[in-house]
Amino acid sequence: MRFKFSLLAIFLEALIIVLFGIFVRYQEDQRITNRVNIHKTILKSFGYEMNQIFQDVHVMIFVGFGFLMTFLKKYGFSSVGINMLIAALGLQWGTLVQGFWHMKEQKIHINVKSMINADFSTATVLISFGALLGKTSPVQMLIMTILEIAIFSCNEHLVVNVLRATDTGASMTIHAFGAYFGLAAARVLYRSGLKEGHKNEKSAYHSDIFAMIGTLFLWLFWPSFNSAIAETEYLQQRAVINTYFSMAACTLTAFALSSLVEHRGKLDMVHIQNATLAGGVAIGSCADMDIYPFGAMLIGSIAGFVSVIGFKFLTPFCSSKLKIHDTCGVHNLHGLPGFLGGLASIIAAAAHVRLKGTDSPSAPMQAAALGCTIGIALVGGAITGLILKLPFLGQAPDENCYDDSVYWEVPEEETHLVGQFSDSEDHRTINVNV
Amino acid sequence: MGSEYSPSLRSGLPGLIFILETAFILIFYFCFSYECQSQSEDLTIYPAFQDVSVMVILGFGFLLAFLKRYGFSSTGFNLLIATLGIQWALLMEGFLFSSPSGKVKISLPSVAKATISVTAVLISAGALLGKANPIQLIWMAMVEVAAFSASRWINVQFLKVEEHTSLMHVHIFGTYFGLAASWWLYHSSLSKGVDKKKANPLSELFSMLGTLFLWMFWPSFNSVLIVDVTEKRNAISNTYYAMGVSAVAAFALSALSSRDGKIQMIHIHQATLAGGVALGFSAPFIPYPWIAMILGLLASNIAVLGSRCLEIYLNPVLKIHDTCGIHYTFGLPGLLGAIANVILFIIIKWASLSSLGYPVLIEVGSFMLTTAIGLGAGFITGFFLTFKLWKTLPASKYFDDQAYWEFPHLAHGF
Repeated sequence: MRFKFSLLAIFLEALIIVLFGIFVRYQEDQRITNRVNIHKTILKSFGYEMNQIFQDVHVMIFVGFGFLMTFLKKYGFSSVGINMLIAALGLQWGTLVQGFWHMKEQKIHINVKSMINADFSTATVLISFGALLGKTSPVQMLIMTILEIAIFSCNEHLVVNVLRATDTGASMTIHAFGAYFGLAAARVLYRSGLKEGHKNEKSAYHSDIFAMIGTLFLWLFWPSFNSAIAETEYLQQRAVINTYFSMAACTLTAFALSSLVEHRGKLDMVHIQNATLAGGVAIGSCADMDIYPFGAMLIGSIAGFVSVIGFKFLTPFCSSKLKIHDTCGVHNLHGLPGFLGGLASIIAAAAHVRLKGTDSPSAPMQAAALGCTIGIALVGGAITGLILKLPFLGQAPDENCYDDSVYWEVPEEETHLVGQFSDSEDHRTINVNV
Repeated sequence: MGSEYSPSLRSGLPGLIFILETAFILIFYFCFSYECQSQSEDLTIYPAFQDVSVMVILGFGFLLAFLKRYGFSSTGFNLLIATLGIQWALLMEGFLFSSPSGKVKISLPSVAKATISVTAVLISAGALLGKANPIQLIWMAMVEVAAFSASRWINVQFLKVEEHTSLMHVHIFGTYFGLAASWWLYHSSLSKGVDKKKANPLSELFSMLGTLFLWMFWPSFNSVLIVDVTEKRNAISNTYYAMGVSAVAAFALSALSSRDGKIQMIHIHQATLAGGVALGFSAPFIPYPWIAMILGLLASNIAVLGSRCLEIYLNPVLKIHDTCGIHYTFGLPGLLGAIANVILFIIIKWASLSSLGYPVLIEVGSFMLTTAIGLGAGFITGFFLTFKLWKTLPASKYFDDQAYWEFPHLAHGF
């Protein structure tokens, strides 16, 4: 791990810096800023409003996704840490590969919007990371980041620029793509040795609370995520409103269903952490359409419903029958709701829901976008899985899964105490200090 | 709880805080008023100001929460000295920098400046973490904010340094102030590993929360006070990419520098932030992203190497104990940034070579001066903090929440 990981990371970093040196420039706006009357609009697009949304998205990627995955009792460092590594590498690589589609005079011109898009592209990798959580090494994650973002940007170019489908909140291009990519990779990397489960693949009381920090930040800032790349201020506002109501409806449904499907009507923290967010995923594709708040709430409720049912019934089925082991349940949080979002956008397009002015998106194109996204994700994920399976990439043996101490210096003396909040044997503090 | 063993703060702390607060309120009543004009201009920086607030209160608070028995104090005292420091910084700021006529005007930028100034105190508090009690911290905050404002005033008034640049000296100033002060609070037992001084996985995750917030909002920190649109945009993007590079490099270097190739959480906490610190001075002027990225890479290198070497070789020799490793998180990357700024300055102004000497001298002088004032003021303050009057802690009570806090039920797991 020492040399393989470090040298690969430094090599990638050096490569990216060189590519940045050759291709990336700041967007020229010297000429425009001198003209005072346009000054205000420039202020808007660069400095202030965009930057506000950008910061929200940034929080979601780094704190939201990072802490959402800390639910495993011995895998907190890797969840947050590797999440940060992937996102930091991904945003640089994302800037480059997304920029290659929009080059002007052999140069990529960047602004705050390209930073938002770069953050978006890392989200797909983080979702796939959720499916593989605990079963891969940092070296494998570096390679997956590079491959997945490259494939993602091709698919996004296809959906947005070739098919001209609308996907403002990126239900399809980010969530469904990331989820199915991760699932395909997880299928290829299936470990039959872990069929009976692993002793560390459990949560503890405090790790569930840490995961809740992530959920809350994701929940709070989801309206920004869905509205970040909306075209006009009006559409942006509509996206925020739709997402807001969808998430609220989804949360209520998730709580209700969680209590309904569990024995004795208790709530399951896994459902609360994940299913409450499904509404934000599902509303993504239609976020800026004129679907009325009740439409948004309907989509949100269905998403919450589907997500809880998925956690309860589909995940065990996938894991035992289809040999797809999905650690975080990304299929239920991102896959199914993303697919649902795609369906909703097809229905909305078929019903001639207005997008802006009089034009509405075309249903066949939305369907094509959904189909090609899932197809590319599955094929790309399977190929990436095969590459990750190469023996020299340092995949951990079965017994070392879900364990921080393989990759991290974990403070030793305490490792056995983790998760024993109510352990009656631990009277050390009292003995020492009273 | 622990009041029989460590000196009770009951007589000292509330009195001190009430006197200070009363004084602040009176001064604010007599001398300060709100700015009446150009409020809409003010509001445009509100989002970025909010980010800086999150960094100062939440980011620094949780960054310091990595000691397993000191989480309450790390976050709690951070809030205490930050809020007190901001008020005091506003006063100093107002008296030193505003025109003498009439009442001092408060606007959002001046609050933002005060908030940034206070990070000097929080950085110094990182060096003293676990060794100073709240009374000492409050006195340190008072002296340090005054000293930093004075150093800034000299820089702006006499050396004609730009105001934004002078504020970015905060990292260097805070570090050397804290290190000099920690020389006085050194105790021979600190060089041996104390059990309470260690982290546990839970506390390191809390610290990671703080790190992430600092990391994410650093672009706002580096750009909040810049007025020019192009420069602001450059500052944001440059910091963004530099932070990205320093995060990736921190992981690689941490794995490379440990014997069995494992990553150390403490490196991630420190080195990922180094890029933002190093970019502080030059972020608005760097014309291409790759220059910023190389700076981020270098800063991250310095931070990881520093934490490997300084801790073992330098600190025991100088008898300094730097709990949080601020020297290589903020100090050295800050110096790197200052030097890089001078070099960039030379390159950009290369054309007018004849008149280059004097401005370069000023640039170098300004950060040297800040460092010197920081060291000097810190040394004097450190001496001042050792007075028994402030109810100093015995070394056996270092790094322990129970000296100050009522515990729920002597919690398990702490």
